[in-house]
Amino acid sequence: MTLPRASLILVVLGSMLAAPATGRADDVEQKAAICVACHGDKGVPINPNIPIIWGQNEGYIYLELRDLKLGNRKSDVMGPIAATLEKQDMIDLAAYFAAKPWPELEQPSPPRDVVKRAEQAINAAVCQSCHLDHWQGNSTTPRVGGQQHEYLRATMAAFRDGTRANNPWMTALLKTYSDQDIDALAAYLAAAQ
Amino acid sequence: MGTLRRALMAAATTAGAAALTIGGLAGSAGAQEVTTGILWGNMNTVTQDLLNRAADDGNNFLMTHGNYHQTRFYPNRQINTLNVRHLHPAWIFQTDVMESMETAPVVINGVMYVTTSFDHVYALNARTGEQIWEYKHKMGPITTYCCGPNNRGVAAYGDMIYVGTLDSKLVALEAKTGKLVWQSQIADPELGYSETMAPTAVDGKILIGTTGGEYGIRGFVKAFDAKTGKLLWTFNTTAENSQGVWATTDATGRDLHRDIAAEKAAYAKNGDPYKTLGGGVWQNPSVDLATRRIYFVVGNPSPDLDGAPRPGDNLYTDSLVSVDLDTGKYVCHFQYVPHDLWDMDAVSATVLVDVKDKDGNVVPGVLHGEKTGHIYVNSRKDCSLIRFSEAMVPQENMWTLPTKEGARMLPGANGGVEWSPMATDPNLGLVYAVNLHQPMNYFVESAPYPSGKLWLGGAFKTIPTEEQWGNVTAVDYNTGKIRWQVKTQQPMIGGIMATAGGLVFTGEGNGLFKAYDSATGAELWRFQAGAGVNAPPSSYTVDGKQYVVVAAGGNTQMDYKRGNNVIAFTLP
Repeated sequence: MTLPRASLILVVLGSMLAAPATGRADDVEQKAAICVACHGDKGVPINPNIPIIWGQNEGYIYLELRDLKLGNRKSDVMGPIAATLEKQDMIDLAAYFAAKPWPELEQPSPPRDVVKRAEQAINAAVCQSCHLDHWQGNSTTPRVGGQQHEYLRATMAAFRDGTRANNPWMTALLKTYSDQDIDALAAYLAAAQ
Repeated sequence: MGTLRRALMAAATTAGAAALTIGGLAGSAGAQEVTTGILWGNMNTVTQDLLNRAADDGNNFLMTHGNYHQTRFYPNRQINTLNVRHLHPAWIFQTDVMESMETAPVVINGVMYVTTSFDHVYALNARTGEQIWEYKHKMGPITTYCCGPNNRGVAAYGDMIYVGTLDSKLVALEAKTGKLVWQSQIADPELGYSETMAPTAVDGKILIGTTGGEYGIRGFVKAFDAKTGKLLWTFNTTAENSQGVWATTDATGRDLHRDIAAEKAAYAKNGDPYKTLGGGVWQNPSVDLATRRIYFVVGNPSPDLDGAPRPGDNLYTDSLVSVDLDTGKYVCHFQYVPHDLWDMDAVSATVLVDVKDKDGNVVPGVLHGEKTGHIYVNSRKDCSLIRFSEAMVPQENMWTLPTKEGARMLPGANGGVEWSPMATDPNLGLVYAVNLHQPMNYFVESAPYPSGKLWLGGAFKTIPTEEQWGNVTAVDYNTGKIRWQVKTQQPMIGGIMATAGGLVFTGEGNGLFKAYDSATGAELWRFQAGAGVNAPPSSYTVDGKQYVVVAAGGNTQMDYKRGNNVIAFTLP
């Protein structure tokens, strides 16, 4: 997405937020309409590096919007959008998208050697202790099972090199992993349903 | 004695039921038998006197750790070393939640209360496993918790049941129906606070700590009014002036490799870090009614592995603390690991027993099993250390500092002894602990506090090439010597119970639930539960029949196979 388009979105969003606060459900529908442009109108994002947010965990969506607004998570696109949101808007949007069905992308299972590498990496850090059995996460911990392959890979790489800085635990953990580990983890998790 | 009391209660119940029936006749056309009401007598009010006598109660299991001294010693001997081989499942109850179970069942007059991950509470008929009611907590959208969405059980008091929740609430339910009576917000979950521990009920107060030591919180223990949910007092587990005495060794005398001059300079420059110093509390306090003091242990400082933002001893993290039951005022403390950099903290429940001091005099003592792999024996009078046990697990490279590249040290960050409660046998003078052996590398990585996100200041990872295993260990608390030790296939997490039948019961991640001879460690019985048995067992007696009950739900933190079963065992 280009910056002018983001600016247009801001103008539209600004006018939406200025609307009288009647009917929270209608309100959130309107606010969420802006998200469709990238995250998809059926929950399937338009690009492989954009995350699925339909059916993502409510607390996680809220915390990420909060961090984007605070600048703790940097994004040229999402930062300006989040900056216009009040806390209640973020809570409402989080609840709205969390209630949507997760789109099953049916990404292919990786070959056996990749699975083995991913499982070794997972066991060393016990990733399920936060992301839980079946990779569904909960509340402020994201669902990662079935997330977009390229987004998972890029996100783990960004955590590792510190460009995504709003979860230092993930940064510290991923610094102990190689590129091959991250590639394997991304492929493994993308295929997990 | 327990049987006699039960018989008396049954008689009282019959009298009560008769009175109700006669009263009902006056306004009805014919005689009606009373068929509604509770199952095993009408005595379902948990009085303070009943709780005070919990240690001698051969029928009930009134608190998650048995009694106020948290001995987890059940005084009935119907199931014993001679007949335990005949133990078999009496019933299995399946909960709605297939996730980690750390609940310790509480049983009161034939009704059992158990909890699950995500804070469901069940009341069950303890004789049959039939569900009486279920309470599903309506979880707030934001929960921040480390180590799994666990719940360790309820407290019972009066005609209410109390449970803490992941969204940091204390919830009071009607014991008969599970109906919500009140809920109090304990702290803000967005800041990293959550509840996984069971509350403790005593003298009209509900005591509860908080988790969040991995989130830059300021930990606490709070007391709430049992009837109204109003906050009565708060004890903050991180002290103002948290620098302490700049200790250079741990409680066992090992060098902590601290740069005290650099820490003092940082403290002078940046000030006291107590506001984000962590100090979670994972387990119930023990209660000494004679002195009206409570004893609990405080967990790690935040961030776990990075000492730079928190110069000083970080009081009262990694410490035993005693406060006044009625006011929450500080009484005494003893720190095991000053300025902890390894998450080598104090998380298992404290146990109150009389112990021999260094001169051989019997004094009121308090036991704690620590992640270091030692059991510490402290004085209840002033919290001072009397002795520490032989190490129950291998210790290597203690206390090598975490590095960017990773430094190997044993024990790994899960301990030693995790939150798993210990048990004691007062007749044998033994304390029983379950242990983990998990070699780990410790990495340090500085970062500012990311509000509401895990803040560990680095990472710890198991070493895939190294073997892991567990122990069940019996320690003589009057000498600190290991009496017996049994190895298990996997690191142990969940807890243990001892009984007057000469047995200890404990479960494993591979699904095995075992009974050992408490004097010798000989394995006398085992059962394959089909999912990790990683919860503390309880025991109770209904209709003259003793049961042992345990949850088999696996464990998130250790990634042991999940399940959703509560299994009660009895003799044919």
